[in-house]
Amino acid sequence: MQRIDELELPYLPMEEAAFASNPWPQLAAAREAHPWLAKAAFGFAVHQFGAMKDLLWRDEYLQTRIDNVLEVMDADGTEWGRFEKYSLLARQGAPHERIRSVLAPAFTPRQANRHRPLMQGVISELLDEWVPRREFDFEEFASNFPIGVMCSLIGAPRSAIPELRSSLEALGLSFSMDRNHLPALENAMNVMNGFVQRLVAERKAARLPQGEEDLLEILLDTVERGDLSERELFDLLIFLFVAGYDTSKNALTLLMSVLIDKPRIYERCAEDKAYCRRVVEENFRYLTTSTIPRTVVKAITYRDVLIPEGTELFFPVSIAGRDPTAYDDPDSFDPGRKEIKKHLTFGMGGHICLGQFIARAQIEEGLHLIARRMKNPRRTGPSSWRPFFGVWGLKGLPFAFDPADLKEDARLDA
Amino acid sequence: MAKITYLEANGREHVVDVCAGLTVMEGARNHGVPGILADCGGNCACGTCRVYIDEPWLAKAGEASEVEAATIEAQEDAGPGKRLSCQIKVADELDGLVVRMPETQC
Repeated sequence: MQRIDELELPYLPMEEAAFASNPWPQLAAAREAHPWLAKAAFGFAVHQFGAMKDLLWRDEYLQTRIDNVLEVMDADGTEWGRFEKYSLLARQGAPHERIRSVLAPAFTPRQANRHRPLMQGVISELLDEWVPRREFDFEEFASNFPIGVMCSLIGAPRSAIPELRSSLEALGLSFSMDRNHLPALENAMNVMNGFVQRLVAERKAARLPQGEEDLLEILLDTVERGDLSERELFDLLIFLFVAGYDTSKNALTLLMSVLIDKPRIYERCAEDKAYCRRVVEENFRYLTTSTIPRTVVKAITYRDVLIPEGTELFFPVSIAGRDPTAYDDPDSFDPGRKEIKKHLTFGMGGHICLGQFIARAQIEEGLHLIARRMKNPRRTGPSSWRPFFGVWGLKGLPFAFDPADLKEDARLDA
Repeated sequence: MAKITYLEANGREHVVDVCAGLTVMEGARNHGVPGILADCGGNCACGTCRVYIDEPWLAKAGEASEVEAATIEAQEDAGPGKRLSCQIKVADELDGLVVRMPETQC
């Protein structure tokens, strides 16, 4: 048995912009050098699908230690640091279960399906506003969708979206491991704090009647029962916006970028919503957003490698789906693939993405209506890439399209 | 301790002794039984440890919670007796339990 720090390992430069814009050659080279492990900035990267699948659920050994991120970001004593330190992601064991159990009933597949008409309404309104322009940055368009859905779920005014959008953009870089972003993170936290505190005060003054309760009502009832403090309520509301924003927006933008080059698949998405589900799941495998950081809190031996306590591991689930040891022909985009949901996009273990069913429903509904309203999408300029650490994705997707013929739309409705 | 039979969709059987207090999912995972993924580690949050249980075992396995019911109903494989194996605690009265696994959890 060897200790992890005694192994001869390749280096995956995940912190470099060049890697973010094209990780595939270096990933292939890393696989050649070691089947599942590489060195990385701040620790080690587990790059093989099977190893991620074996390790990521083992909460007893691997936990998110926000202190390490805050140290890299030099964020001790900041409001953003406080928020992250006490966020759902940072909590473990009983404190995590307490908050998660408050939220779980509102995030089941059943609830996500109930929200589909609301999601259709939000994307339809956005399309009514944006389609006449015929050309815009798809990422900017897409960014309004998850915020709009979240505002609707908690009864927040849609007029708040522009202010929230810029703050959520900043907070999307929370786990970029780049301390230059700290002033923007701090400013964004102040904006989000002000927003949720106003929202709660207004709702307390005018509660919704029985039978019309939304997510905010459920959370306020939980505060009144003493199961959640008011500060925890504010932080949870901010967390829900942050967690659902750039992951969904980036996933939808990456999906559009892929489908621009696959017009037959895109066209079928306009006609067949059940097919959209397969397309969305395939893109969760093919090109997705997150790298999950974990700290080893109890030494673990895996494949005869001792990983001591304190080791920082990074799980780039964003690229796990291209692993040839896990998938046949991994570089081909195939919505007909068997076991279409065999991907790691939403993580594993007790911290598995709470909003996974909402995200799936939202992107499926969004894709279907976008494909119906925006025909023949094509790029009109280059995109750049967001930092690979944290929430990866495209920065900008300038594109043009032909607005749908409304008569054709009516035919599809019929 | 309870003897539990895990039946894959292809008919292959795995008979395992599982300690009382563990869940049916943990019994499978601890003995390397394929076909139960449990991506969320047993937190009733993903629906990837689905099994089917026939009467009379279904009644003995206890009622599904509202969150469990709301999680499994959306899964595509359908049929009576569907449960999440992470939510079934093994007890002596489940000695002899047979659980059938779907063709795929994903």
